[in-house]
Amino acid sequence: MAGIRIQDVKKRFGNLMAVNSVTLDIEKGEFFTLLGPSGCGKTTLLRCVAGFLEPEDGHIFFGDRRVEGTPTHTRGVGMVFQNYAVFPHLSVRENVKYGLKARKVSAGEQERRSREALAMVQLAGLENRLPNQLSGGQLQRVAIARALVIEPEVLLMDEPLSNLDAKLRVEMRGEIRQLQKTMGITTIYVTHDQEEALSISDRIAVMDHGNIRQIARPWEIYTQPADPFVAGFIGSTNMVSVEVIECKDNLLVAQCGGVLFGLPLQEGVEPGMRMMLSIRPEIFTVAPPQDSLPDSYWSLNGRIARIEYLGSMVKYEADISDTVKLLITGYNIEPMNLRRAGDAVRLVYPMKRVLTFMEDAR
Amino acid sequence: MKNTFWNLTALLIFIAVIFFLLIPVTRIVMGSFQTQEGGFWTLQNYKTFVAYNTYWKSLINSIGVSLVASFLTIIVAVPLAFVVSRWNVAGKPYIIALSTIPLMLPSFICAYSWVVLLGRSGIITGLLQSLGLPFKSIYGYGGIIMIFSMQLYPYVFLMTLSGFNSVDESIEEAGRSLGTGPIKTFIKVSMPLVLPSILSGTLLVFMTAVENFGVPMIIGEQRPFLAVQAYVEFTSDISRHPGMCYAISVVMILVTLSSLAAQRYYLRKRNFMQSAKGRPLIKECHGWKRKFATAYCFGVVLTPLIPFFVAVIISFMEMRGPVIHPNFSLENYIYAFKHSYEPIFNSYFLATIATIASVIVGVPAGYILTRRRSAVGDALDIAIMLPFTIAGTVLGIALIVMFNTGILILTGTWMILALSYTIRKMPFIARSSSSILYQLDPSLEEASISLGVSPMKTFFKVTIRLMAAGIVSGAVLTWVTTISELSSTIVLQTPGWSTMTVEMFQGIISGEMGVANAFASILIISAIVPLLLMMRFVKDERASLF
Repeated sequence: MAGIRIQDVKKRFGNLMAVNSVTLDIEKGEFFTLLGPSGCGKTTLLRCVAGFLEPEDGHIFFGDRRVEGTPTHTRGVGMVFQNYAVFPHLSVRENVKYGLKARKVSAGEQERRSREALAMVQLAGLENRLPNQLSGGQLQRVAIARALVIEPEVLLMDEPLSNLDAKLRVEMRGEIRQLQKTMGITTIYVTHDQEEALSISDRIAVMDHGNIRQIARPWEIYTQPADPFVAGFIGSTNMVSVEVIECKDNLLVAQCGGVLFGLPLQEGVEPGMRMMLSIRPEIFTVAPPQDSLPDSYWSLNGRIARIEYLGSMVKYEADISDTVKLLITGYNIEPMNLRRAGDAVRLVYPMKRVLTFMEDAR
Repeated sequence: MKNTFWNLTALLIFIAVIFFLLIPVTRIVMGSFQTQEGGFWTLQNYKTFVAYNTYWKSLINSIGVSLVASFLTIIVAVPLAFVVSRWNVAGKPYIIALSTIPLMLPSFICAYSWVVLLGRSGIITGLLQSLGLPFKSIYGYGGIIMIFSMQLYPYVFLMTLSGFNSVDESIEEAGRSLGTGPIKTFIKVSMPLVLPSILSGTLLVFMTAVENFGVPMIIGEQRPFLAVQAYVEFTSDISRHPGMCYAISVVMILVTLSSLAAQRYYLRKRNFMQSAKGRPLIKECHGWKRKFATAYCFGVVLTPLIPFFVAVIISFMEMRGPVIHPNFSLENYIYAFKHSYEPIFNSYFLATIATIASVIVGVPAGYILTRRRSAVGDALDIAIMLPFTIAGTVLGIALIVMFNTGILILTGTWMILALSYTIRKMPFIARSSSSILYQLDPSLEEASISLGVSPMKTFFKVTIRLMAAGIVSGAVLTWVTTISELSSTIVLQTPGWSTMTVEMFQGIISGEMGVANAFASILIISAIVPLLLMMRFVKDERASLF
């Protein structure tokens, strides 16, 4: 096992800068996720680490070993692919043994290790099946066993769950996480699914247009996004572009389309500056009209425009003014408290939970 | 670097294409601008071409006959493809399998058998005339067109069929749901999607018809055709002035090249990639409707096979020169085996060598085309397309000219025949390998590499294994079509290296019909048996398709 260091790695396809000087340090045994929209360069970066692509510039280290230039088959990676890539002409057992044979492991050892690996992914008993007799989830388990059985230095997973149905996806990600922790294998995981990334990773790198926007632990990514892109990509949020109009005491007031937003005072912010606010829909509460508020809260008056009932939660869209519309989510709401479209509401939020980004900083 | 192996392979294929195809053809092109005295850059040969009736008529005839035949194949094949694709006719696999047979058998056998039936003293001709019908004989343009259509319709049929099969049901349903009726939907939605397939098939018909040598030679009765004319000029003029033969060759290349260019130009903006996952809507019909449709389909695919049945039957009859005596006899076979088993051996030997060579070169070439898409891949794509555009007769002449003298002398050996076959068949293997690879997920190969198997070993351990069924089918088709090759063989054969097709052809020309028929039957059986074996043992849909 080894950590992975990616240093100033660049990869271009024609005029497109797919990976733009990326530097990453992944610790030994860490579950590291590359997250981003399609075309952000995450798969390209993973394929550079795997050796299917050669970076034009920069270095990749596994521990102290520099691996760029080393062909994939001698690099010591295990890889799991989006579409399983289980060899259709080989049985489950032969698929798992494939990499062991290439390493000239003795027959007895092959048998023992493949049996262990298959037991680990709960496929014991299916050894003699051919891939066309397996379900999608089972195929992905074979692929995982096959990648782990060779005891690679690093495990690379390229959207391994995106071909599975929603329920299985959630189940499998728990299992992958469990396996990775038990084996303590350094893992790079690529996905575009932010929920999956949050649930599975030790750390996440959010990528966009070949650049890394933020590297942090899941809750930091969610609660302290580095920029509006990360804030908007992870979870859902209300992005509001505002102008600061007043700074006094402990309060900063900014407006957008006639709606005033209260925010905690920040150093260096003066009236006239423009900011981007990210207000998560779940920080709002719908409060009775006349209740007095603690100083750290701010309230807005609006009208419910649309309601989307999802069982465990309710999504409202509220019109605050003609141009300002906010998304609000409520959890654990009693049916009697459900609002209807057209209801006037008072929305309350704790000011310190609003994320602010200076517009220039974009 | 991991690409070395493939770059080297691509380079070798390039060198082979340049050395064995481009340079020989270039010499033909240059030769066509040479004067009788050996002076350079004259248009004299082309002026002669335009001035003499025989020459320019051969151009008109070749293009005209091929165009009409192409048009007829569309009329025959497209409705057939539609019915087979969309109706629940019985015995579909048999219809498809039967339809491929004409492509495997030499067209001049077909021509000759029709002569037996519909010639001046043909069996059916007599019948028709005794009924008072004004039918004379199959000789002439009509006969050539009929034989071309019957022989080549499978190209259009098979391509159109796969076109119709890949039009997803939901696309047509979408059309219907938007308010167009079934017929209008077919015209507005399905037809435009299938048109590229139809055209690709038609192009193959056209090019094959232009380059065909045997049919116009046998039933053309001195009407000039390009392929025949090139051969005639070559055999009569070889000692004197070959420039005229070269000029005719160049004209032929221009005809095929421009038809290919026209098709490419048309298809450039009409590449409708469709997921093959969808299934077309099958129309269920019952009772007499279904019976009628089934009978129609079998009627269309069986009619072109009549001449081959006839050839086999005649081969068991007593022959005196061209006259058939209706007595059962094995005389023809005894003669064929005793007198000349050599051509049989030669045909098998050359076809086997050419097939092996085509697979060795074609499969890696197909791999590069699909998996190593780059400037190299694009150039290779064009290089591999070239042999399609060079008629067999022209290729034969070019190879003789090239390897007559110089560092490598092959003229007069079996190697030049094997070389010509390989050049002509390798592109088919490359194309079919490439289309198999398109359906193979590249991550299978990457998975193997990531598990510690080098790219080259992966190619042999994973890629080749998964392609095996397709490669075997391709190899069988190559072998079968190679034993019936005539147009370059007729130019390249030398005493001692005559093949079954040459013996047959010369038998027909010289009136030794008995031997011709015996060889024809051996050839038909040699083609049918491997095809049947392949269909039985290779569980692969593509096995029945080109």
